Amino acid sequence: MTAAPVTAGLRAVGREARRLRINPRFRGRELGLLLVVSFALVVGSISLGATRLFKEAQLAGEPPPVDLVVLAAPGIVTIYIVGLFAVHAAFVLAGRRTDQILLPTMGLLGGIGLLLMIRLPQDLAGRLGGLAQTQLLWLVIGLTIAAALGVAVRNDVWLRRYKYTWAAVGVALLLATFVFGRDINGARLSLTIGPFSGQPSELLKVILVVFLAGYLSENRPLLQEESTKVGPLRLPPLPYLAPMVAMWAIALGIVIVQRDLGAALLFFAVFLLLLYVSTARFSFVVLGLVAFVLGAGLLYFVFEHVRTRIDIWVDPFADPSGAGFQVVQALHAFARGGLIGTGLGAGLPSIAGKPPIPALHTDFPFAALGEELGLVGILAVLGLYLVLVERGLRIASAAQDEFRAILAAGLSLVIGVQAFIIAAGNLKLIPLTGITLPFVSYGGSSLLANSVIVGLLIALSERTREPLPPPRRPGRLRRLVDRGAA
Amino acid sequence: MAGHERPGGSRPQSRFMPGSRQPAHARPVSGSAPSWAGRRIGIGAALGRVAMVLALAFGSLALGAGYWQVVESQNLSTSGDDAAVIAAARNVLRGEILDRDGVRLAWNKRDKNDEPYRVYASNSLSGVIGYANRQFGTAGLESAWNAQLSGVTSADPLRELTRKFRADPSDPETLRTTLALQLQDAAANALGRNRGAVVMLNPRTGEVLAMVSTPTYNASAIANPTTSAATFDSLKADNRAPLLPRATQGLYVPGSAFKIVTSMAALSTGAITPATTYDDQPAAESKGWLIDGFRVRDGHHPQTDGRALDFREAIEASCNIYFAETGVRTGSEALTDYANRVGFGASLPFDLPTAASQVTNGGGPLPGGMEDRVELANAAYGQAEVLVTPLQMALIAATIANDGTLMKPHLVLEATGKAGTTNVNPSAVGQVVAPGIAHEIAAAMRLAVNGQVGRFFTFGAALKSMVVAGKSGTAELGPNQQPHSWFIGFAPYDNPQVAIAVLVEHSGGGDVKASPIAGELLRAWRAWASG
Repeated sequence: MTAAPVTAGLRAVGREARRLRINPRFRGRELGLLLVVSFALVVGSISLGATRLFKEAQLAGEPPPVDLVVLAAPGIVTIYIVGLFAVHAAFVLAGRRTDQILLPTMGLLGGIGLLLMIRLPQDLAGRLGGLAQTQLLWLVIGLTIAAALGVAVRNDVWLRRYKYTWAAVGVALLLATFVFGRDINGARLSLTIGPFSGQPSELLKVILVVFLAGYLSENRPLLQEESTKVGPLRLPPLPYLAPMVAMWAIALGIVIVQRDLGAALLFFAVFLLLLYVSTARFSFVVLGLVAFVLGAGLLYFVFEHVRTRIDIWVDPFADPSGAGFQVVQALHAFARGGLIGTGLGAGLPSIAGKPPIPALHTDFPFAALGEELGLVGILAVLGLYLVLVERGLRIASAAQDEFRAILAAGLSLVIGVQAFIIAAGNLKLIPLTGITLPFVSYGGSSLLANSVIVGLLIALSERTREPLPPPRRPGRLRRLVDRGAA
Repeated sequence: MAGHERPGGSRPQSRFMPGSRQPAHARPVSGSAPSWAGRRIGIGAALGRVAMVLALAFGSLALGAGYWQVVESQNLSTSGDDAAVIAAARNVLRGEILDRDGVRLAWNKRDKNDEPYRVYASNSLSGVIGYANRQFGTAGLESAWNAQLSGVTSADPLRELTRKFRADPSDPETLRTTLALQLQDAAANALGRNRGAVVMLNPRTGEVLAMVSTPTYNASAIANPTTSAATFDSLKADNRAPLLPRATQGLYVPGSAFKIVTSMAALSTGAITPATTYDDQPAAESKGWLIDGFRVRDGHHPQTDGRALDFREAIEASCNIYFAETGVRTGSEALTDYANRVGFGASLPFDLPTAASQVTNGGGPLPGGMEDRVELANAAYGQAEVLVTPLQMALIAATIANDGTLMKPHLVLEATGKAGTTNVNPSAVGQVVAPGIAHEIAAAMRLAVNGQVGRFFTFGAALKSMVVAGKSGTAELGPNQQPHSWFIGFAPYDNPQVAIAVLVEHSGGGDVKASPIAGELLRAWRAWASG
């Protein structure tokens, strides 16, 4: 008899849930992976805590303490792990058949970044009481965004219909940065509006992919088939070259005005990859690469800062305490790490209280991980990015139409290519550019933009047998706009 | 685009209801697409290729990381520029450096701020031990073994791999070197105010017993923070270049001492036998031997009475014409080849960085890079473009002394840290010439020190207490400069235990300076070895 009210209560909750269309769906794989991620982060935190105790005892000249199982910054780590499970709960309640790998992968990368920020000197940056607290705030906001997008986005009309609006927003953002941007270290990367400041190029990369997905999916048949013959070359139809040239010019403009080599490289690479994905025409890629080489050559000879970057790349050891300082110090960090690393918290010898590499938290987290986690750890981190890209491309290949396919491919490629550019720069495989390592680097703009990407990918991954809702018939204006673009 | 109807534009439905219809001209890709590829919109194959490209790019990242973290790891993380090495130097007492009998060569004192600085036992060590100073960096052995001395790396690779699991990863190691302080001081005294270098080593093991470069300097004064700046400035301004470690970094014309290398090549290739004589040699003694319009001259030995010399006599008399002819007969390829086998052409495998000795400048049309036969003829007796380090010359003598096998020269016997001792064992670089050929050359070198004619050139090197074998050299430098004086050799002849190279810059013939110094040092070695 006592069970009756409980049963009745549960039924009421069920009725209410159905009325609100809540239909929970168990996400076992995501839950399992999140448990693994949480375990890894707790172990990392303990490693940090133990190393810290050791160092303190050593400085004080005391014998090392016996009890070493102490979490470093337990509050921060707990809040982050709770945040991850909260997003998981939201996805369960939403009941959608969406991807279960993306959240744990992003969670682990973000967590590794958070441990790094806990471990670095807290006064490097951050307004909120320290590096780690600020990074945690951005991570929580990022998780919220990813959750909101993953739960709420069921319809992509707002993305595909207004591609030129998005393009306009992007160009406006770029222009605003050109005009109002603040120069930091010779690069105009950051835009300040009122109390907020951020790096517009991070947001711009998402907008770029949305626009390209709209443009390429719409014009795909033509781009695939049509061609203009110039001698032996089969070039794309000339009118369709215009956006490519525009893209090339924008990339050049970013380098010249913003001095942001990394963003330019990222945009151009993603553009070329998406062009190839949508057309499968290798000639476009060749053409793009030729344009890239010409542009790069031009920049090298005209602009001092480009030349400096290239020269440092060719031989950083020529001036190890001057121009090549950062790069050389990063290579030393990799070398100190060796195969298995020094252990979290045990590397990065501080000289006069500062870590040996300037801008470590934004530009060189990969080198820091290389030192403290070793080659083994670095390969694991690289593997995580490949998992992200693989999930994105899988979502793309299962997409129901071109727009969604190119969008999903583009979003995941942005993360993959960006991780490659900065990691390769740290490792001296390509010239160093000041771009962030997605989810790991310190910084709000980067975390938010990448969270938007993961949220959209999760939304796009929904497996459903039902056809997509038919779009509204295009209005007269849109037809005009489309013809104009063609 | 006139007249072309856009298939997508004309039927907007088809773009959003993709299952319904495939544009007729879309490329069929299902054949090559992976199983997970999208079949309906046909971008699977392109996605697959993009995934491949990205996978390759990440593969290159893995390789790049492997290069820096495995291949280059040791080099970078132990260099003096490394942040961990610099940080350790501030906090950790450097390991001490001992001579082979345990006598302290370098140790630490603390200044009034309680910060440690280095002290050295003798100025004679300056060219080999170098110095360590926080502001001016490190040199010599202090630099080469900096990481082990400051405790950031271990000499033992296994301990290195498990470093992170130890309670105190910093473990400065004490180095016991191969040097004998007594011989080191004797060599510096023997050179005195001359500029030059002495290298003494055990030919059987490659252990360096003494390595001196003069002028010496006071390394303790560089290490001491109160005097370092002034000392360093005055040493850099000194035009006698005291900071140059001549034994390993100085490059000199070897003169006749190089004939040992020519002998190795000529006897090994069969270009000559010990019995070979040249009929035109006696006559050429007075007017020179003509090769391709160049006259090789030899004014040194009137005592040979117009007789054609065989190999041993040619070494004893140091006959330039014999070796010029032998060099041409041997060929530039074999000569450079045998020189390279004994260490020329590259830095020597040694604790300290060494300059590469050379037979020729290279780039010429002859095999091995020589210009012409005139260069070959002159190189064969150690002139032309031949340049050597004193250490290289000591290794030539050591190779002959060790039955033709070159042992790797080394400066450290063992490195001892908290966790134990790592030994450095002798290892062979390789067999340069067959034992029989080494013995033939050794016999000739014995004559060069003890023979009636030889004594004239190596005055002072012969000892009563043991039989010395050797070869002098007089490096002609042109009309306005005094020649460099060389002696290389080994002793005792029957069972060689020490090989030696002595160089005295701009001091005249080999008999004038280098040979008596070598004799004095071999006598000192005898006293040291038996006492």
